Amino acid sequence: MISKEDILKLAELSRIELKEEEIEPLQKDISNILEYVNQVSSIEGTVEKEVGLTHNVMREDIPYTEGSALKGAREDVAAAFPVQKNGYNVVRKIIQKDE
Amino acid sequence: MSSELTNLSITEASKKLAAKEISAVDLARACKAEADAKNPELNAYLEVFDDVEAQAYDADAKRVQGDAGELLGIPLGVKDNILIKGKHASAASKMLENYVATYDSTAISKLKHEGAVFIGRTNMDEFALGGSTENSAFGVTKNPHDTSRVAGGTSGGSAAAVAAEMALGALGSDTGGSVRNPASFCGVVGLKPTYGAVSRFGLIAAVSSFDQIGPITKTVSDAELVFNAIKGVDPLDSTSCTHAQRTNEVLQKKIGVPRTLLASGVDAGVLAAFEKTLEQLKGQGYEIVDIEIPSVSLGLAAYYIINFAEVSSNVSRFDGVRYGLSKKGDSLAGDYAKSRAEGFGPETRRRIMLGAYVLSAGYYDAYYGKAGAARAQLTREVQDILHTVGAIAMPTMPTPAFKIGEKEDPVAMYAADLFTVTANLTGNPAISVPMGDVDGLPIGIQFTAAHGDEAALFRVGKDVLGEY
Repeated sequence: MISKEDILKLAELSRIELKEEEIEPLQKDISNILEYVNQVSSIEGTVEKEVGLTHNVMREDIPYTEGSALKGAREDVAAAFPVQKNGYNVVRKIIQKDE
Repeated sequence: MSSELTNLSITEASKKLAAKEISAVDLARACKAEADAKNPELNAYLEVFDDVEAQAYDADAKRVQGDAGELLGIPLGVKDNILIKGKHASAASKMLENYVATYDSTAISKLKHEGAVFIGRTNMDEFALGGSTENSAFGVTKNPHDTSRVAGGTSGGSAAAVAAEMALGALGSDTGGSVRNPASFCGVVGLKPTYGAVSRFGLIAAVSSFDQIGPITKTVSDAELVFNAIKGVDPLDSTSCTHAQRTNEVLQKKIGVPRTLLASGVDAGVLAAFEKTLEQLKGQGYEIVDIEIPSVSLGLAAYYIINFAEVSSNVSRFDGVRYGLSKKGDSLAGDYAKSRAEGFGPETRRRIMLGAYVLSAGYYDAYYGKAGAARAQLTREVQDILHTVGAIAMPTMPTPAFKIGEKEDPVAMYAADLFTVTANLTGNPAISVPMGDVDGLPIGIQFTAAHGDEAALFRVGKDVLGEY
């Protein structure tokens, strides 16, 4: 059974706040799921360099043109900001003056 | 209740539109009327768009000017994780409840170009995580054949909309079976294209190396029509690609069945219907042979590890900073922690944490590394088999639709994906086609073909449904 400390550590890595009453059910569920997926350990070796279906694709180094999918998107994107001012995203101050 | 208009297939409606027997506005109004009547109970649509008739009006106007595509004026449902510019797209989550898409997904652009009409956005499991649409933040979608049961998932809303005639077809997305599972449970056709065949630009990413947008329709011919409209290499999706077409005619009539896989855990009624369908195919000139795919169960475990890892990475963008639910804590870390705790449902939160676990230092090789090896092994096995047969057949799901609330344990839900995840791991195309019912509940047969060989799936699917 995964420990309470590990659950709290995972929550921190995931940037998710957990309520106290959520921890025990999560220990149980996550332990069961990990046990279930642990079957993969029976396979030999690890990821090999395989020739996949896809391959690297590069586009020409030219700016986006008229009629492209992203034209005019700036205003739409700014409209989605939780708080915006003059087209800027207003966020929490994280750098203090004397740093 | 249905109308003469809403029980048409896309192909039939298309002919009537071309012959000017009906108009796009007629079709749109009929679908809206069905939605008004049935959606309050079924919850297939999270939103019916308020401009449906305006879209239909435009389609009719285009026809007058000489446009004549087969999808012109055809009413479709769109899964809530596929972006339509100016419309809400929430991936059935509180995190994106108020998010308005800032661009069209490529699949939608292509359908707009064809003049299709979008009826509304359909319900799904939140962020495409689940198998029954029970994980939606906005309520489950009920199965039109039995409203005490699930419609399947994660594209439950799309399948229910088509089955209940609230649209003539719909778009879903398939990560581990999410188009095929609800198609099977709702008695409609669902196609997962070859990985890369349809652009993922504008599809809210779940598992980037598995996801594909796919059509959910009443007939295989309709699925083919929609697939042809939305497929294609897209410079905006670097994973989109074409695949060489297969031309081996000898293999075309040979179907492989992985008998060992069906030996246990499959409902007797499903097995009986499956055997009956195979007999029908034999009568239509197919040869049915036994095959083995040894790594399938290993594949399911690998599927979930890769799912947790990639999902965890993909939803890390939802932090309340640029879009989505934004809550304030005591600090920046607190802002993230609160926004994400409130914006994500239980299954999503679980998978994010599991993803963090399997990707963490010390565990990476044991889980993600091993999963990659299992995936490569399974892909090789399937490719080898498809050099000996033209398609692999099995039931889509081990049972018909289960009752809402029946599968509380996450592991029980995961286990039901056994037959569908292989095609996502390997990238092969797969289709679910209705094969009758068990006590009135629909079930589907699934065919898997070689990369790029959707033609094989359409051929055998049409034979099953007698569509020639």
